[in-house]
Amino acid sequence: MTCTFTRLRLLRRGPRHFSTFLPTEKHSIYVSQSSDPYFNLTFENWLFKEKSTQEPLLLIYRDNPCVIIGRNQNPWKEVNIPALKRANIPFIRRHSGGGTVYHDMGNTNFSIHLPRSSFNRHVTARLVLRAVHSLDIDAWINERNDICVGPYKMIPPNIYVSGSAYKIVKDRAYHHGTMLISSQLRTLGDVLHVSKFEDWISQESMVTRGVASVRSPVKNLIEFNPTVTHDAFIGAMVRVFRDEYRVEEPVQYIQASNAANIPYIRDGIAELPGWDWAFGQTPEFTYSISRVFEWGNVAAKIRSKHGVILSCSLTAEDGPDLMMLEKLGRELEGQRYGFLDKTTSQDGCGQKQQVRQWLIEEMGS
Amino acid sequence: MSLLRQTRCVISRRRQVAYLHVSPAWWATRKVLQQFKLADIGEGITECEIIKWSVSPQSLIGAFEPLCEVQSDKASVEITSPYDGTVKEILVQEGQVAKVGDGLCVIEVDEEASDSSDVPTSESPDASTNAANPSQQHQAPERASEQLERSVVVEVQPAAAEKPSVARPPHPLNSNELASTASWSGDSAGTIVDKKATEVEVLVLPAVRYFARQSGVDISLLAPGSGKNGRVERIDVERYLAGGKSAASEQPSAALAPPPAEEDVVVELGRTRYGMWKAMEKSLEIPHFGYSTSLDLTTLHTILPILNANIPQHYLPPSQKPSTPPAASPSSFFPVPAPPVPPASGTYDKLTYLPVLLKTLSKAMHSWPIFRSSITPGIVSSGSKPTLTVRPHSDISIALSTPTGLYTPTVRAVDNHSVYSLASTLKHLAHLGRQDPSGLTPTELPRRGGTLTVSNVGAIGAGESAMPVLVPGGGVAIVALGRARWVWDVERGDGKGERRLKLGISWSADHRVIEGAELAAFVETWRGYVEQPERMIAEGV
Repeated sequence: MTCTFTRLRLLRRGPRHFSTFLPTEKHSIYVSQSSDPYFNLTFENWLFKEKSTQEPLLLIYRDNPCVIIGRNQNPWKEVNIPALKRANIPFIRRHSGGGTVYHDMGNTNFSIHLPRSSFNRHVTARLVLRAVHSLDIDAWINERNDICVGPYKMIPPNIYVSGSAYKIVKDRAYHHGTMLISSQLRTLGDVLHVSKFEDWISQESMVTRGVASVRSPVKNLIEFNPTVTHDAFIGAMVRVFRDEYRVEEPVQYIQASNAANIPYIRDGIAELPGWDWAFGQTPEFTYSISRVFEWGNVAAKIRSKHGVILSCSLTAEDGPDLMMLEKLGRELEGQRYGFLDKTTSQDGCGQKQQVRQWLIEEMGS
Repeated sequence: MSLLRQTRCVISRRRQVAYLHVSPAWWATRKVLQQFKLADIGEGITECEIIKWSVSPQSLIGAFEPLCEVQSDKASVEITSPYDGTVKEILVQEGQVAKVGDGLCVIEVDEEASDSSDVPTSESPDASTNAANPSQQHQAPERASEQLERSVVVEVQPAAAEKPSVARPPHPLNSNELASTASWSGDSAGTIVDKKATEVEVLVLPAVRYFARQSGVDISLLAPGSGKNGRVERIDVERYLAGGKSAASEQPSAALAPPPAEEDVVVELGRTRYGMWKAMEKSLEIPHFGYSTSLDLTTLHTILPILNANIPQHYLPPSQKPSTPPAASPSSFFPVPAPPVPPASGTYDKLTYLPVLLKTLSKAMHSWPIFRSSITPGIVSSGSKPTLTVRPHSDISIALSTPTGLYTPTVRAVDNHSVYSLASTLKHLAHLGRQDPSGLTPTELPRRGGTLTVSNVGAIGAGESAMPVLVPGGGVAIVALGRARWVWDVERGDGKGERRLKLGISWSADHRVIEGAELAAFVETWRGYVEQPERMIAEGV
């Protein structure tokens, strides 16, 4: 096990420089005291892989503001990347499926790991529900196992306080989700992408494979019970988890500083922001846009897979130089979507520059 | 499949002689293509999208290694491979949606691994889908001559012998019937076997067979037919006559008559043949020596009718049991302890030589502990000095040639069996082996096989001597039994000679543990029982 090996190495090196021991996966309840989303996601993944398959595990953490997209989602579709950049908020692709969520320090994430054979979404959802109930909030679970609050059970729209996602491997599975306690909902609305209505108006559309997020109205728990805090929720979750799985051991509080020395975690933290994971995992999609220039109308259809442009077909009604468009389209093939070289090339006409500039803007990154 | 069959001309008094053919058990590795379907991953998921394949065609995959990742609404699921093998084809591409039950990919696996899964899409269609009728006579003259030519007679797999241009030719002992009763009722007991090059038993009503013969149609070309269980019907014959080459002969499973090959054809080794290849490579580790002699079966031949007349009731097939109870019965006074009832497949009505030979062999083994021993497994590879493990009982493996392969089931503690119960066990083993898929289980094929192996190759051909080959795990020695024949023995009858029934036997033994003299002496001990079976009365058989 990498952890014990590292520990031995450290022992041999003499006085330790860390305040606590390296974390191991041998415990059952973990609370991360780091708010680094890269660390938290990687740590969660590490626990998922390392923990013995038959034992239940609970992890609770919260992150600095960031947007987390699902394993198989399209960041350009889900996330308003320029807006994120302006707000200095990163987006990160997680390992589990599902939709896009916004994390900040007002949102607490829970992660329940169980053996695959006994994994059941409804059961784990009810676990979280019990925790919310114990905070004096009248919540309930809808048919998609989301936790909703409000008096109108049968009448949509449901008000969500939590979103969930799952990951299943050979003999282990986890259910993790958000719990909105006191999150900045306005920022959430800003950074997640334009609604479909605006798409329709502008006749743009990005047709993707992959899972599209389901937009849902959300509220914070403090709107229903002002005394709820992050720690109160942790306490409630831990109690419920202990009851259900008969776990007696104490909660492990984890610091990023020492855990980041575990090679798997270190590598994972480095991989998450990299282009390969963040963009290179995007499934195939086609983006069709059109624009009216002074000299003519151009329609573009960009096909991309795994973050790379497969083809870009530029067409126009009479006017613009079709050969130039074709050439430009071919130039774009093989380049990374959204990461086109912004420097203008020397060759040729202003039209080409304009079209190119337009495309860069549209791909917006 | 067991070659229990009637010998025809050799012995004057018509007797059934049971011969079981030899082959080591674990030859079988044929490659089949397995379609791996999207299983129900639970959670009420009915379809999911393939996100990412971790493999591509031609890459190797091990069991439990990740194959692909799929996503369904909020769950991301990693799917692992159930087999070791090679990925041949990816059926659902990344980004496409597969429903539960759809095939995800095709993996090429070794056939043994595919037993428990869906129907394999095998490349070389299995002609031997049905069991052979056990009691029919099987002649394969070209096979016999083939065996005589080769010195390594016993290990020949007759299945693939005559048809090199066909991927997987039918087992020569194969017929297309599933229930032996069908052809029993159809044909007479001394069933006709068409002595042709294509030796395949065909399930067909006598009337249809007659019609085919009258019309000059080779019935074996039409197998399997359109009737129940692949029975060839009259209409098949008519169609054949009308349409030149009938559809039946083009069916993949009727790969009988090989097309005349004008040029070299490359044929992949079939399952059993490849298994033989691998086993024989391993057998090179064993230094063999051979020893041949012949046993005089004349006395046995004399007493066999008496033994036959007194087969215990519980071993007789139901049809032969007396339907009316006897007038005076031993159990009218006190219930006679009921003997163990054998399974229906273990009943017989004629005793053969083989059970007697096995019983006498076990008695000889009793006197010779070294032939009740095996090389302690694991010792040789670990580098320490080898040891032999002596067993208290005589375990003998019998070679069994079946449509699904060659096996050596083991009869444990032969010394505890009576000749009758041995006959029942052999019959039952043969029945199990005939099933497709094979009915032999690890009970019959234990990891720890017998210490001696017996191969009844005389059932197949009138071989005179053989050089059987030992394989690791096959015990310390192997004997091939030839075919009994009447010869004039001048050493008897005061120089005038006598007609004696002699059975040629050929031994091969592992010279790492057995000395030549030991084997010779052991065989003499065995001969003592075989040639003077009356001794067993005094010893209490």
